Amino acid sequence: MKFNTIIIGGGLSGLTAAIQLQLSGESTAVISAGQSALHFSSGTFGILNSGAVLPEGHPYSKIGPKLQDYIARIKPFFAKAGVSLHGNDSRNMLRLTPTGTFQECRYAMEEVELFDAGNPDIGNKVLIVNVQGFFDFNTAFIAQGLEKAGATCRIESVSLPEFGRVRESPSEMRSVNLARILEGGGTLDEFIASVKALIKDEDTVILPEIFGLRDSSPALKVKESLGVRCIFVGTMPPSVPGIRCQMQLRRYYESLGGIFLMGDEAVGVNIADSTVKAVSTKNLGAHWLMADNFILSTGSFFSKGLASSPEGVTEPLFGVDTSYDKNRPEWYRRDFFESQPYMEFGVATDGGFHAIKDGIPLTNLYAAGSILAGRGPLTLGCGAGVAILTAFAVADSITGGKA
Amino acid sequence: MKLQEFTSSAHNFEECMKCTVCAAYCPVVQVNPRYPGPKQAGPDGERLRLKDPIFFDEALKYCLNCKRCEVACPSGVNVADIIQEARMKYGKSKPRLRDRILASTDVMGPLAVPFAPVVNFATGLGVTKAVLHATMGIDRHRTFPKYSSRTFEAWFRRNALKEQRKYDNRVAFFHGCYVNYNYPALGKDFVKIMNAIGYGVELLDKEQCCGVAMISNGMYDGAVKHARNNVSALSKAVDKGLKILTTSSTCTFTMRDEYPSLLKVDNSAVRDSILLATRFIYEQVESGAVKLAFKDGYKARIAYHTPCHMEKLGWGVFSKAILARIPGVEFTALDSNCCGISGTYGFKKENYGVSQAIGKPLFDHIASVNPDFVACDCETCKWQIEMSTGYKVLNPISVLAEALDLEKTARINGF
Amino acid sequence: MARSYKENEFDVIIIGGGITGAGTARDCALRGMKVLLIERHDIATGATGRNHGLLHSGARYAVTDRESATECIEENMILRKIASHCVDETDGFFITLPEDDLAYQAKFVESCRAAGIRADIIDPAEAIRLEPSVNHSLIGAVRVPDGSVDPFRLCASNMLDAKLHGAKVLVYHEVTEIIKEQDTVRGVKAVNTLTGEKLEFYAPVTVNACGIWGHAIAQMAGVNIGMFPAKGALLIFAHRVNNIVINRCRKPANADILVPGDTVCVIGTTSTHIPFDQCDDMRVTPEEVDLLMSEGAKLAPSLASTRILRAYAGVRPLVSADNDPSGRNISRGIVCLDHESRDGLKGFITITGGKLMTYRLMAEQATDAVCRKLGNPSACTTAITPLPGSELGGLKELTRKLWSEPTTVQKAVAGRAGSRAGSIPLAESHQQSLVCECEEVSVSEVTNAVEHLDVHNLVDLRRRTRVGMGTCQGELCACRAAGLLAKAHGCTSKAREDLKSFMTERWKGMLPIAWGDTLRESEYTQWVYNHVLGLNNSI
Repeated sequence: MKFNTIIIGGGLSGLTAAIQLQLSGESTAVISAGQSALHFSSGTFGILNSGAVLPEGHPYSKIGPKLQDYIARIKPFFAKAGVSLHGNDSRNMLRLTPTGTFQECRYAMEEVELFDAGNPDIGNKVLIVNVQGFFDFNTAFIAQGLEKAGATCRIESVSLPEFGRVRESPSEMRSVNLARILEGGGTLDEFIASVKALIKDEDTVILPEIFGLRDSSPALKVKESLGVRCIFVGTMPPSVPGIRCQMQLRRYYESLGGIFLMGDEAVGVNIADSTVKAVSTKNLGAHWLMADNFILSTGSFFSKGLASSPEGVTEPLFGVDTSYDKNRPEWYRRDFFESQPYMEFGVATDGGFHAIKDGIPLTNLYAAGSILAGRGPLTLGCGAGVAILTAFAVADSITGGKA
Repeated sequence: MKLQEFTSSAHNFEECMKCTVCAAYCPVVQVNPRYPGPKQAGPDGERLRLKDPIFFDEALKYCLNCKRCEVACPSGVNVADIIQEARMKYGKSKPRLRDRILASTDVMGPLAVPFAPVVNFATGLGVTKAVLHATMGIDRHRTFPKYSSRTFEAWFRRNALKEQRKYDNRVAFFHGCYVNYNYPALGKDFVKIMNAIGYGVELLDKEQCCGVAMISNGMYDGAVKHARNNVSALSKAVDKGLKILTTSSTCTFTMRDEYPSLLKVDNSAVRDSILLATRFIYEQVESGAVKLAFKDGYKARIAYHTPCHMEKLGWGVFSKAILARIPGVEFTALDSNCCGISGTYGFKKENYGVSQAIGKPLFDHIASVNPDFVACDCETCKWQIEMSTGYKVLNPISVLAEALDLEKTARINGF
Repeated sequence: MARSYKENEFDVIIIGGGITGAGTARDCALRGMKVLLIERHDIATGATGRNHGLLHSGARYAVTDRESATECIEENMILRKIASHCVDETDGFFITLPEDDLAYQAKFVESCRAAGIRADIIDPAEAIRLEPSVNHSLIGAVRVPDGSVDPFRLCASNMLDAKLHGAKVLVYHEVTEIIKEQDTVRGVKAVNTLTGEKLEFYAPVTVNACGIWGHAIAQMAGVNIGMFPAKGALLIFAHRVNNIVINRCRKPANADILVPGDTVCVIGTTSTHIPFDQCDDMRVTPEEVDLLMSEGAKLAPSLASTRILRAYAGVRPLVSADNDPSGRNISRGIVCLDHESRDGLKGFITITGGKLMTYRLMAEQATDAVCRKLGNPSACTTAITPLPGSELGGLKELTRKLWSEPTTVQKAVAGRAGSRAGSIPLAESHQQSLVCECEEVSVSEVTNAVEHLDVHNLVDLRRRTRVGMGTCQGELCACRAAGLLAKAHGCTSKAREDLKSFMTERWKGMLPIAWGDTLRESEYTQWVYNHVLGLNNSI
């Protein structure tokens, strides 16, 4: 098969680039080895924490003056795909985390409540409602955090006969399985009624993010129906809003005519004269996929875009150059919660995001997203930002700005 | 060897990051609480079973072996293989008579075909269904696939064999049990298309059922026997330089992937030569070797369903491309969801409810699209969707045979 | 011994909550004494929880140390009976590789037999059949009755039995002073490390059972023991590669034992003398990791490509012979010092040296010494009295006795708690909901541990239940377990700090081997705890 561009990696970055290209009239295919890290999303997107200083070589520095313009494009872009984001283009807001703390972010999925950074208004009396027997939502931590911030909290739980089925299984009381039960219809109404019955004099209700795998309508319905402010707080993975976002992007991409090769893995490459000619995949075997341009958005270590061994850090598909500390003990910090240096390792690129092999940039292989070297996804809060903005940049570069 | 340069484990169970994505895509977890879920049944359970086989859980039998966990896994863990292999290694429950009958597609076929009208009449009767439900545990809601009164092989020998000698280019056809006993028309469509694009068709020397039904019913010894037989039959064709084409995604997947990974039958000599007919045709057209001419005025609204094993195979892209490029076709790719039948699984009365619940999202999607018909590359999905939605289901090869102007196609390809 | 006690008066005070202290407390309690055990951290935090978990047959010492070998095989047979739920009867191989001298085998077998250890030479092909993971190039194999033993479980069961027989156990209490009157130890001053409360306890006899830390306790009492800390590093592989213990048939050396234990297997050890100030925070070095990997791969080549879960190190309390202050003449045997006869200090006993394997014998010797001081004529019964949990036999019989159709969760609980699983509520499905999915630890087991087994934090919980010890090293379960703990103890900022320190404690073991899948897991866990959960943010 032949395409204008083949995108390897179907997560946030890969899908963003693929959609942009497809919208500009290119034919594209996405090779996605398993589901993406969007499944572990917080339901919010960070661009850069306030006060963070960009280290030298950060991917943003390669985007240059277009960065602000790209940031302003995020909301309209997702809106086209049916993912409604809110947030302010120019300043960060706060999200309430599953441990009752506040975390900076720029945008959020529409049902996720955002708070002003200076003085988050969490209400005076808060009712925290969990599903009976659901351990992936830590009500005690949320309550403790909010009480520190001055609220009074009460913890309750709801038990519906429909939940009994998943509870029967020792392992499957998971956010996604609850979300499936609460997709709509009678059970959702029953759930809403049960929560309403628990509200006494509270001005705010906190619920786990278990609403709306396919679209956000169940979450919005809950919000509208409770009669008091409703704040959704994330659960342990998998993330319901994250899965929804992934599914909506993919559905939109395919509706544009894009080819999404789910569960396939690029395994072979054909490079000649510093130009990638084709890739082969595990499933398609001898049927090589050809394209004019290739985007490498296979993610970092978790997603296997980067591989590591005691010998060092490599990019396993193309064998392109990586940037990392050669002295292994320097990869880590002893405190788990300190910034871990290995998280900044990644694929080296030139100023135009071309991957480099043996010191020479490849003419038509671009790297985008969390495979890039120089990020600081946790300390800088730039994880989603790098994924989306470098995808925009690469798509622009391929189409000469048509996207 | 460099130490720790890479790590490996049986079916990659150790690469599992415990991210739980597999559980999010398991169709069984959503409807059957007795099933421990792919993560628990697979990589988690494997560590416990290695400690002590006492940790084998018979509830692993609820796994459909649909492989959707493997498609979803970001870590490349062969979750379903781990589960199936554990069943093979530790399972104690023996298949029931009912399971044996359902699994033995190429034993029952030859018995039924000579009496097809009677068998079809009988299996269609409410009273028969009730008896089978009560005595055999075959759910009364199920419509038995009709048996054909003449096998595809018999038809081929009598009506097509001679014709095939005209072609210099040949392909071998693994027709599978369904084409042979239940729906020879699909085989005939396949032969027509191949002939039109300039290929003669050969049958294999002693084809047997691919064994998928035996695997899912726990009849592993039988499945291995079939696998060995088929690999040897396929080898003969490959030795002649032939590609082996199929019209069933499940047979294809089983012979390519389940033989080596589960049944430990080495198929390396033939694996890359086994192709779905849609992939073969796509590649011929793409390379310019073959041209297709379509009927004027063909019109159809087609919704394509990706069967589970097709999803795992990753070849839906070929069937979809072929259908979508037929002039006059309004094409919708349905969200990839399990239909719930999983071969013989849904035929068992204890599974009927689960089976239908699994399929519901797919059925709902079909209804909302409201196509002229559904296209899909799997025969058991066809039964399930037809029974559950009332929409007709056609194999893409049959759709193509209908849409093509076969004579014109033959002409422009020089035949 | 009819006497009345004040609340802080005991017959014997035992300092140290490792296996030696726990075993001694149990023995003393079984012999009718009023016992206090004081531990500054949690149970099994020192060398007890930081070794192979090898149930030595004694074969390893047969050639070099007959006495230890005989002690081992005798205790081995005893533990199989009294601690069946802690013991896995795997058997062991001593293999000869082409680079080893096969002539050693004959000497080895002869020495084993002389020490009373069954040792059967088996054909290398048979060895491969029985243990497919073994290095196929082996040229000789001897089968011996090695096994594996779970040190946490063993320690906890001894502790529990001591309590069931009236002993008082105070964890998180640090001894700050030995109370002396002239030449007699009268008791100890201690501080509750969680609350800061200061306490005093009195008893006619105090036993120092603190392993390497006994050095400092002895100094506190004004006596000196020549002890030398020897660090031993080990690696945990993520699943059982072998089901039979694999040793090298040669003079004991580094990294020549591979032990299957519970869901994992462990290779070790190295041996390095370290200064005392490193004992509380040992780090495994890259050199140690390299040595363990390369030597381990000689025993079982697949280890070279098997995921490593953690690296850790323990410290052996080596004791120099009393007449040799240089420390060159070091004993690995049991050292039981009556400081009255040795140093003229009455009421103070040190029990040290030895090994996990011989803890019961150490306890017996220490308790005998206590009895002599107290004039207690009772005989030791620990060799014949099953530990709580070990009364109903092996896992299969046990689960069948407890439940008609045991579920996986019930089997897993029985595997850890033995017959005590029967007292953990597990009948209903919601009681079996999993907290830790890797190790199959259910909510009931966690709640039971929190309520009955002195759990103060998540690390304590891990030691008692295996929560967080599986492949994901706490990623999936730590937050769940923290929620349950917070429910029981009330959620304070301490709970938050506890969860953070649990994650850092898990990371400590992962850091030395954080590449490949372990790095992937770490990155994922970082993302979840640091970003999604926002655990590190201030509130």
